[in-house]
Amino acid sequence: MLKRFAGWLMSTPATLLVLLLLLVPVAATIAATFGDTRGPFAPYADFFGSPFRRAVLWRTIEIASITTVIALFVGFLTAFVVSRAPGRLKSILIIAAVFPLLTGVVVRSFAWLIILGKNGILNNFLIWLGVTDEPFAMLYTEGSVIVAMVYLFVPLMILTLVGVLEGIPDDLLQAASSLGATPAATFRQVVFPLAVPGLIVGAVLVFTGSFTSYATPQLLGGERQMVMGTLLYQRAMVAFDWQGASAVAAIMVVVTVSVVLGMTRIARRLNPMSS
Amino acid sequence: MTQPLTIDRLSAHYGKVQVLEDFSLKIAAGELVSLLGASGCGKTTTLRLIAGFLEPTGGTIRLGEQDLTRLPAHRRNIGLVFQNYALFPHLTVAENVGFGLKQRGVALPEREARVTEMLGRVELTDLGDRLPAALSGGQRQRVALARALVIEPPLLMFDEPLSNLDAKLRVGMRAEIRQMQRANGTTSVFVTHDQEEAFSISDRVAIMQAGRIMQFDTPETLYSRPANAFVARFVGFENLIEMRVVARKGDLVEAEAAGGALLTLSQADFGAIPDAFVLGARPEGLVVAGPDAPGIPATLGLRSYLGRAYQYLCDSPAGPLTAQGPLGAAQEAGSAARLQPVAAQCCILAPEA
Amino acid sequence: MKQPLHPALIAFSVVVFFFLVAPLVIILGAAVSDTTFLTFPPQGFSTRWFVKIFEMSAFRRTIVTSLEIAFLATGLALLFGLPAAYALNRYRVQLPSWLSTMYVLPILVPEIVLGFSLLKTVAVGADMPVFATLVAGHTLIVLPYAVRVISASLSSFDFSMEEAAISLGSPPLKTFFTVVLPNVRSAVIAAFILAFITSINDVSVSLFLTGPGVSTLPIQILAHVEQFFDPVIASVSVLLMVLTVGVMAVVELTLGLTFLAK
Repeated sequence: MLKRFAGWLMSTPATLLVLLLLLVPVAATIAATFGDTRGPFAPYADFFGSPFRRAVLWRTIEIASITTVIALFVGFLTAFVVSRAPGRLKSILIIAAVFPLLTGVVVRSFAWLIILGKNGILNNFLIWLGVTDEPFAMLYTEGSVIVAMVYLFVPLMILTLVGVLEGIPDDLLQAASSLGATPAATFRQVVFPLAVPGLIVGAVLVFTGSFTSYATPQLLGGERQMVMGTLLYQRAMVAFDWQGASAVAAIMVVVTVSVVLGMTRIARRLNPMSS
Repeated sequence: MTQPLTIDRLSAHYGKVQVLEDFSLKIAAGELVSLLGASGCGKTTTLRLIAGFLEPTGGTIRLGEQDLTRLPAHRRNIGLVFQNYALFPHLTVAENVGFGLKQRGVALPEREARVTEMLGRVELTDLGDRLPAALSGGQRQRVALARALVIEPPLLMFDEPLSNLDAKLRVGMRAEIRQMQRANGTTSVFVTHDQEEAFSISDRVAIMQAGRIMQFDTPETLYSRPANAFVARFVGFENLIEMRVVARKGDLVEAEAAGGALLTLSQADFGAIPDAFVLGARPEGLVVAGPDAPGIPATLGLRSYLGRAYQYLCDSPAGPLTAQGPLGAAQEAGSAARLQPVAAQCCILAPEA
Repeated sequence: MKQPLHPALIAFSVVVFFFLVAPLVIILGAAVSDTTFLTFPPQGFSTRWFVKIFEMSAFRRTIVTSLEIAFLATGLALLFGLPAAYALNRYRVQLPSWLSTMYVLPILVPEIVLGFSLLKTVAVGADMPVFATLVAGHTLIVLPYAVRVISASLSSFDFSMEEAAISLGSPPLKTFFTVVLPNVRSAVIAAFILAFITSINDVSVSLFLTGPGVSTLPIQILAHVEQFFDPVIASVSVLLMVLTVGVMAVVELTLGLTFLAK
């Protein structure tokens, strides 16, 4: 009797936790945006009616997209080198990638404040080189946010892709070269297509991560480079405009969920092993 | 087109471990040669050296007039069939088969024609659009074969290609591979640990152990005239009895085993018998007879039923032996008997150094 | 055996790894600078900024709070997650497939949205105390690690072992602790470590839930940076990194770090 429900019994506490503390509150937040006293879509009309907020959404998408593309490129090439490195070196490289990943977002973003500041390392270096006399204003630009974001997410991309690349059997690479494929051709025609599902997973992780980030744009972009995360905080905790904040939250959920669902669908279609 | 393969004094290391030392092997043009041995004997290493996936520390590999030793793998032009087929999972059957032609810059119309023709030869004409995941093991094996053959390589190599197939399919594929290879006359190297497979498919077989060739001969010679104890055991001579000649009478030789058992052997059966030798006997080469008959005295132990005969584990002054007796006369454990050699199931070896 | 890599590719990776490691070295340098402003390379050498951390009550308090929350949230996540992971594997046929998706939702939903929603519905709406809401929020965001890491390990566990133990007379609950748990021990440790690190570094959820008198270390760092640009921040960061190194050393010693890459 008990046996038939044992699985349910053991999984229910965790299910309730997610249901009560995640699904209900988030659903309530989204639902609230449709219960506005001024009409069901008023908070969205506010959001899309404001050129400033539209610019924030657009900037966030832009930063997340550029970060994703750079992280894909850098991560894939590096992961390929890591996956082909001899055993001992490989573990060192993996540790070197894991370590920043385990260091907090605040700490890692903060490092770029020291590097990119007016009296920062990079400016001092450029002045020392004689490239410029005046320090460049590098902080609080879209570029500074992107650099720090790339820094934040490249390790994640490397680790994701090393796993995928190591899953490609050596046999396939040997088969390709026995059939006359040069190393470059093997990379293009065998390694890359087989890594595409992993690239998609990595892209989803990086895009959603950078699209919803708060600490990095707050530290390196400030008020001038407001993104969805910082806008949400500003609406909720500075302006106490909870309806406006809820609309931002709802838009963030819609964008992330559609990116995740869309990309997993594409990944499934592209995955040669699935059929 | 078809070329002889000459391996001369090849050495290879994995780290500090020497896996091959002074390994030499000559394979004639059009011949199919198997490298046979247990795992770790160096057969796969040899194949990988020839393919160019490992670099030798010494020696040369030549195919016809061409020195392959330092040539990168992708320029060696060797057709390779992998143990687990190594089909590209993201390419269709036709694209897999056409992969090598594409690398060679063969134009699309010709490529398609050759792929279609090759798929016809391996009877996969209708499956060209499938992905490898949608194929059975036997079909994958055929695709792998087609992919290696379509580039018309002067040398074909097979790395335990049949070990992932079930027994029935294995025998069928064996015949297909042999027929294709004969039809093309391509020099071939076949790596396997399965003796029956190696013997049935090959012109000659190299039996390997610890990075050395123990004997390189036709299957018939290996089976009936092994050159040493290792090969003898490998081909089923389970009983190896050290003997010493005590008397010679024309073709007949009287020899004594440890413990004093006397046997009479004929040089007409075995060729010249040296003064000290080892008698190799398969289980069916030692027949159980009554305790008063001539032969090696033995006490019978565990009996097992083989269908065509009984097999006995025996104790003898010459050591533990395995012998067989007729079905009509089952013997109980503990009974005394004599074991008589049957010349056709025995061999004569030089004593071990 | 492997194709040699193109030198340009190797050079590129060297630059990437320099890019990954250099900022952390810079923080380390800035933390020991004997100046009142942040600078690198450090001028002079001083450990006074480390002493300063503990002289500032705000940092002292938030370090303790962060540790409390991390331990509580990780413990709770394991308490909820372990049975769930077990059920997902042991009773695979009995349970619907969407259930496993349920446990990764906290990763799927943007953390900052979760933080805001918890503030709105739970902290304000249900009038839950600040500390309790923080623990609840952190438990949620680390739950996926507990469930997924342990589940991955259990998926290769042969449950006939459990049946063998029961047939030999071991009661089911005892069997879980004597047969199942020892076999997924390393996964539980890994889950603990990942969850702990995630909690201690969290910003997005804590951001909304910290209140008067209750804050976490990363939030305190953020608040401090807005006002001051002194080496204290660097030394707090180093403190956090040391904590990470300590945790990683434990992982390396017990499991080998490459485990985390999977």
